[in-house]
Amino acid sequence: MALSLVAYIREFARVEWAKKFLAARTAPLVIPPYFRNYPELTGKTCTHHLFCMMACPAPGAIDVIRTPEGWQPRIHVGHCIRCGLCVEACPNGVLSSGRILESMFLDNTRLSFSFAITVDLDRCMGCGNCAVACPVNKLIDAQMSHGGRASTDDLLLKVSDGKCHVLHVEKCTGCKTCEHHCPNEAISVARLLEAVHSPEEEPWTS
Amino acid sequence: MTILQKVKNFVRSRSIHVAYVDVGSCNGCDIEVLACLSPRYDIEQYGIFVHNNPREADILLVIGAYTPGWEEKLRGLWEKIPPPKAAIAIGNCPISGCLFARPHTLVDPPVAKHIPIAAQVPGCPPRPTEILSAILSVAPTIFADYEVKTK
Repeated sequence: MALSLVAYIREFARVEWAKKFLAARTAPLVIPPYFRNYPELTGKTCTHHLFCMMACPAPGAIDVIRTPEGWQPRIHVGHCIRCGLCVEACPNGVLSSGRILESMFLDNTRLSFSFAITVDLDRCMGCGNCAVACPVNKLIDAQMSHGGRASTDDLLLKVSDGKCHVLHVEKCTGCKTCEHHCPNEAISVARLLEAVHSPEEEPWTS
Repeated sequence: MTILQKVKNFVRSRSIHVAYVDVGSCNGCDIEVLACLSPRYDIEQYGIFVHNNPREADILLVIGAYTPGWEEKLRGLWEKIPPPKAAIAIGNCPISGCLFARPHTLVDPPVAKHIPIAAQVPGCPPRPTEILSAILSVAPTIFADYEVKTK
């Protein structure tokens, strides 16, 4: 009896034990390295494709601004939901977050954008606003007349026979300028985002 | 500063009573706040205690993008909290409305328009660690020397 009492007192009178008892703490909580945090710049050159903005599901979370060093994506904390789609959609690997880039490289996957333009021929008036506004057309044929008619067939959009025709949809950059300039809501651009496994064209990591 | 004031500051930094209110979120941030209660994060080791009663609370966690149903209620709830008090916005919704802030929706973010917000924890949802560190950094600074400041 007396012996066990002494044993008890010796057990609980230790300074080490008392410290542990009074200052019990779980292990310090750190954010693990694989956590998809807000995307950060990797220092690679942004080519202003704006795929990050197109893929972003949260309104006002990302924009691409012009800095003295060139184009640069900017993340808005408080809007960003840290989904990492901008990181995956970027063709140049400008952004990085968590282990997204590493796993993309290991799995050999990437997100690729393609664009489909549909013209509702019943609504199209053949005004040519879309063809004139299109920035891709502007690069190919800067002399395009106001009605959207041109002599060359290399254009993305062209008006012939009183209707707008899509000639080279693969040249589309998905900016939707034509959609915004159509007075009759006849033209619409669909942005198709698909995940591609082992893409033929090498991703940014090469 | 008197010794009594020092004792008060210490006790207040080790006894933070929290109430949370969801003014219309998707429940993602509610789950993260509840995760703080779990043994892994264990907020009671820091002296944080969740009452969910504004009359007993020091800190109000506001979650969600302020739906119209809260127009009359949130202000009253804030006024029920006895001073010293602070409100912390948890998640993107009370800051910007996040995904809900689109045309033709009824939400009215930010919550800072309706009650004074002391700190914001962005994220959709924020990690429990971020919520914890926000509470632990805001509460002692706001509650310290409350009597001296209000005199």
